[in-house]
Amino acid sequence: MKYFNSIFIITCLFFISAEAENNSRILIQNATVITATDQGTLLETDVLIDQGIITKVGQNIETTNAFIIDASNKIITPGLIAPHSTLGLIELDSESATRDDSTDHYSAGFSIVDAFNPSSVLIPYNRSGGITSAIVAPSSGAGIYSGMASVFKTDGLLKIEPVAKDVAMIMEFGGSKDSRAADMLMLKDSFDLARRFTTSKSSILRGGYFDFGDYTVRDLVAIQRLLKGEIPLIIRANRASDLLKMIDFSKEHRINIIFLGAKEAWRIAGTLATESIPVIIDPMDNIPSSFDSIGARLDNAAILDRAGVKILITSQNTHNSYLSRQGAGNAVANGLSKDEAIKALTINIAETFGLQDEIGSIEVGKHADIVLWDNDPLEVSSFADEVLIDGNSISLMTRSKRLRDRYLNKLGLN
Amino acid sequence: MRKPIRHFCYSICLLNLLFISMNLQAISESEMLNQAYQSTYSPDPSPKTIIKNGTVLTGTGLLIEKASVLIENNKIIAVGVGIDDDEAQVIDAEGKWVTPGIIDIHSHMGVYPAPGLRSLSDGNEATSPVTPHVWAEHSVWTHDPQYTLALKGGITTFHVLPGSANLIGGRGVTLKNIRSVTVQGMKFPGAPYTLKMACGENPKRVYGNRDSEPSTKMGNVAGYRKAWIEAESYLNRLEEYESKSEEAKELGYAPSRDLELETLVGVLKGEILIQNHCYRGEEMAIMLDIAKEFDYKVTTFHHAIEAYKVADLLAEQGVCAAMWADWWGFKHEAFDMVWENVAMVDQALSGKGCAIVHSDSAVGTQHLNQEAAKALSAGNRSGLDINKARAIQWITLNPAKALGIADQVGSLEAGKMGDVVIWSGDPFSIYSKAEKVFIDGHLKYDNSSIDAFTRTDFDLGIIIPEGDRL
Repeated sequence: MKYFNSIFIITCLFFISAEAENNSRILIQNATVITATDQGTLLETDVLIDQGIITKVGQNIETTNAFIIDASNKIITPGLIAPHSTLGLIELDSESATRDDSTDHYSAGFSIVDAFNPSSVLIPYNRSGGITSAIVAPSSGAGIYSGMASVFKTDGLLKIEPVAKDVAMIMEFGGSKDSRAADMLMLKDSFDLARRFTTSKSSILRGGYFDFGDYTVRDLVAIQRLLKGEIPLIIRANRASDLLKMIDFSKEHRINIIFLGAKEAWRIAGTLATESIPVIIDPMDNIPSSFDSIGARLDNAAILDRAGVKILITSQNTHNSYLSRQGAGNAVANGLSKDEAIKALTINIAETFGLQDEIGSIEVGKHADIVLWDNDPLEVSSFADEVLIDGNSISLMTRSKRLRDRYLNKLGLN
Repeated sequence: MRKPIRHFCYSICLLNLLFISMNLQAISESEMLNQAYQSTYSPDPSPKTIIKNGTVLTGTGLLIEKASVLIENNKIIAVGVGIDDDEAQVIDAEGKWVTPGIIDIHSHMGVYPAPGLRSLSDGNEATSPVTPHVWAEHSVWTHDPQYTLALKGGITTFHVLPGSANLIGGRGVTLKNIRSVTVQGMKFPGAPYTLKMACGENPKRVYGNRDSEPSTKMGNVAGYRKAWIEAESYLNRLEEYESKSEEAKELGYAPSRDLELETLVGVLKGEILIQNHCYRGEEMAIMLDIAKEFDYKVTTFHHAIEAYKVADLLAEQGVCAAMWADWWGFKHEAFDMVWENVAMVDQALSGKGCAIVHSDSAVGTQHLNQEAAKALSAGNRSGLDINKARAIQWITLNPAKALGIADQVGSLEAGKMGDVVIWSGDPFSIYSKAEKVFIDGHLKYDNSSIDAFTRTDFDLGIIIPEGDRL
């Protein structure tokens, strides 16, 4: 019991000190700063943080009363953002009792926001790999839609509010057992229904009959937001002709879309650039795993970037969301520039989900979500030495490291 | 539609019968058994080639700067500094790194190929929990496009296993990364057979869901033991018969062939190597006790997420662990992953451990060097001191040992097969790529030309009729 008490006190102290730091200033000195802006990489540069916000970026910044982080020989980047994950929704893939990422009851309006668990084991783990924010999306809902994604930070604080709620809708096209043509009809029908719902609102309020079909009010309200251009639709699709079809569809209905997966996107890179459609890709997934992704290849990212397409790099494995970094490194090995690779892990994601005023780059006015790396952040042999979220230095301890230390000791290897 | 197919089958069967009966007269039954399904791979003599000035990771634990590797007639002739040969074709590897061909000890290429079609899903005979009679090689599709992707990542040898649905899943097969219409043409000449076993969640889930045994881990263990008891008894019958005089043999009956028990007896005789899917530390310890009970050896634990928890025990008993660098969380037995697993297994008992980095993935196999790099850097960051010359063994010599082929591959040593990779730089860097891949002295992949490798049949004309997959 005594032991428990002391741990409790230490834990409290940790949170008090984290709280205190938020009010103090931090000066990161002498870093190689990969800004993820047009300024590119700045050498021997300082970054001043005040009240969790970046207030100065430049050389030889002078200040008083700041906590100094010496970043000589270190590289700093904006905190990495997981552009598509189920962080906070899943502990073990095979155990349905630990999963909150899908539903049979709701469709387009299935918001995962109330399921997020900030104490998930996956969160400190991925934070230690450099992830500071995540777009958390449902895996599947009733029908063609999966639901709505929200944005969370990985600071691990026991709070339940998202950074941004319901920022995008997500669906799959071309992957179901039904004909993709039927998927398309269902999509169109749902749009028609949402529009009819808009025009019938006053009659419904007066008690008039409205046939919701397979949808709920919640679903149709969500689709209305999509139709008003308030949120984008993330479409999981790989086949080049599917991507073209959905581009056509999005223009007809004036909705904003983002492609996810997009293994054959390189075949229509020019069109994607012209239409300003961002794509979320895993650059390492070059497997022709179905007849819809026969054209998968390792230089998808490089080809898209050359054409002017905005790319967002993801890891397909939520447990290892931070391995988007390895994907980005492989994209560079296959022709992408290093600066673009970092942008694809940070600012491109922030911009795509409307978070660019707060996060995604190291520039004045942004939240201080910053990672200090011991070496090139795109190398798998590099590690995060320090992670700041909103200007707070967050612990990099993980359950995995606790296990490691216990057994290093037991094996006499420490 | 059906009739002509049947008719065709009948004639083939008839022909086969004729063929078999003719052969029977010429050779004995056991000789025929040994000849069936054998490797037919026999490379043409390769030109004399010298790779000069590279940074060579030998796979024997050495890093030699400015070294040469001389290959002739499919074999490595010499490795070291100051080697030269006027007749050899010269490849300048200045600024590049040279390693043995990479070996992936855990692959399902060919049995779970791409695309993932139902008709090509041939890796699990999940109809009964004990199926030692099935052989992965009889499922292998020789046109899997994943082979060439792996080749571009430096994979020259890979071991194809049945899946993990069953307690005893069947024989695995070691293949060279060679394009051949027949699987016999890919088989690694002389490689011993392996037997896939699986611990833990998968078998008990597959059969438990059908309300049949095993549905628990204790059911799993009972299943293995029952199988070994039968195998022991079959071995006794075989040995008893063999010990009889020729006269007595003629008077009595030979024990009839039993396809299931033949494989298990092969393990008991030490001819077939156990490759055991097993995540948890306590389960590995139990599997080692089962091996003790029935007097066989476990060669390797695969997917050994918790190997670090029993690293001393593994090192003590000379058992290898094949591991991922960082996969975890897909089920509870994969929950206790540590990045340092590979390094801790390697360093156990003052460096007596046998650590292997494996993929189990057609993506991972293309970047096995990166997986090794992750494991190495995590280990060193935690205070261990492992160099690259040793770490390269995790994907070369150690898997070769665990597959029983270390006398032929796994290191750059005179007399071994000419399986060599030239990397654009340090293979432990994410930016380095395999530039040239030699198998038995032949250049099988060269990244300087888009067409400098043989595509699988599947790759041809599949995106557009005039073009090929990359």
